[in-house]
Amino acid sequence: MTIWLREHLFAIKSALTHLRAAPGNFLFNVLVVAIALALPIAGLTLIENIRPVSAQLSIEPEISIFLTPDTQRSSATALSIPIKKLLKDQNISAKLSFTPKEKALAAMQDASSIAEVLSTLGGNPLPDAYVLSLSNQDTDKLEKLVEQLRTLPDVDVVQVDSAWVKRLAALVQIFQMGLLFMAITLGVVVVVVVFNATRLQVISHQAEISVTRLLGATNTFIHRPYYYTGAFLGILAGAIALGVIAASLQPLNQAIAEFAKLYASEFRLLPLGLLPSLALLGASVCLGLIGAYLSVRRQLARAS
Amino acid sequence: MIEFDNVSKQYSRDAYALRDVSLSIPDGELIFLAGASGAGKSTLLKMIAGIEKPSSGRVIVNGQDISKLKAGSLPYLRRKLGLILQDQKLLSDRHVLANVMLPLIVTGASASEAESRARIALDKVGLPDKAQAMPMELSGGEQQRVAIARAIVNRPKIILADEPTAFLDRDNANKVLSALKIFQSAGVTCVISSHDEQFLDQASRVIYLRHGQVADSWQAAVAA
Repeated sequence: MTIWLREHLFAIKSALTHLRAAPGNFLFNVLVVAIALALPIAGLTLIENIRPVSAQLSIEPEISIFLTPDTQRSSATALSIPIKKLLKDQNISAKLSFTPKEKALAAMQDASSIAEVLSTLGGNPLPDAYVLSLSNQDTDKLEKLVEQLRTLPDVDVVQVDSAWVKRLAALVQIFQMGLLFMAITLGVVVVVVVFNATRLQVISHQAEISVTRLLGATNTFIHRPYYYTGAFLGILAGAIALGVIAASLQPLNQAIAEFAKLYASEFRLLPLGLLPSLALLGASVCLGLIGAYLSVRRQLARAS
Repeated sequence: MIEFDNVSKQYSRDAYALRDVSLSIPDGELIFLAGASGAGKSTLLKMIAGIEKPSSGRVIVNGQDISKLKAGSLPYLRRKLGLILQDQKLLSDRHVLANVMLPLIVTGASASEAESRARIALDKVGLPDKAQAMPMELSGGEQQRVAIARAIVNRPKIILADEPTAFLDRDNANKVLSALKIFQSAGVTCVISSHDEQFLDQASRVIYLRHGQVADSWQAAVAA
């Protein structure tokens, strides 16, 4: 066995001996760090679940142009000409598609929750419609275009469909920023907690440190057990936080399932995957190490 | 070989622990540093171990100038020294064997090697049956002999002992000094500080310090 490996094994043994000597303090610190880590992990879990949903929704602006119900089919199809002219006049590139009312009805009947309602109506209450898909570059021209579309003959309602999707995307982005800020703040809290825990440990082992130093121990040899203690604290707290969040999804999903059923959706919150979980464990170990590193360096520099 | 070349240690403007000390300690000698409390004995020992650095002058230990040693090199110098301190500094939460093994563990020795050498060291100081005892269960003399075992386990070339017989009765003090003399006879340089003059005749040389200066130095009658 190499000397390097032996020294690390000795450091791990020393760290575990220190923990066994004061298990209450260690577990309390683990709990505090776990709580601090649980909040950003919960936020990340939420974002990871919402992100695929919001990504599926188009955030390119769409305009639905509903014609009056009694518009003849020939008039309806002919309307594409003034619409295209308007687009050309304003230099807007857009995809224009016509949706006949029969097709719209068939699509709605496919949605099981509405089919029953439609069958009670007898006829087709839906109008013919056009859908204009614009690029994001033309969003500033949207308002003027909508106004002009409303003046065209046989046009009943003009509706901009993408606003709420954009708002959702903006909200997710704000939430992400907030989460990042919270993660940084709570990361600092974790570092401070580990820093203080390590400081108290170093103070209580001052005699042992000064003896080993007199006997020829290098700084690395003296510091190493405290780094392991910080890493143990980080990994244990990270694992507890991940476990608690994963466990709390079960009752939360029961409530979500009831709500999602109303929208014919099977949306449910899933725990973080293996890789993100491992990355979070790695991050919590790093935070533990940073706290221990800063504390040991400061305390032992003062002592010497 | 230990050499002090015009060494002074000044803590403040008028407070000198050592003043212009020059001396030479050849290999294999048993040196007694004598003098009253505050004479500078402990400071002199601490300088050999690199615990204190001189304000001026040079301290050469085994050819290395201590005052020029970088902090990172000090541990490697200390591994060649055996330190015995007045209060032993045994770790109270570890049994005797673990305390004696510690100097070997810090050098990266395997646990089995450290244990077998620690048992040999305990045997040499007459405490083979105390390996599993806790330091608090031992008498003052036994604790001091454990400290000696810890100091010799690394097979040092120099042993530095700061007041090793303080707080010991004559019988225990003699046991401690006898143990040190055995190592000296094996070629180890022993530098012992003591204000107790009844043991001076056991040294090969006595260096008498007063107010941080070498006031006198003589070859002891027994050793001569």
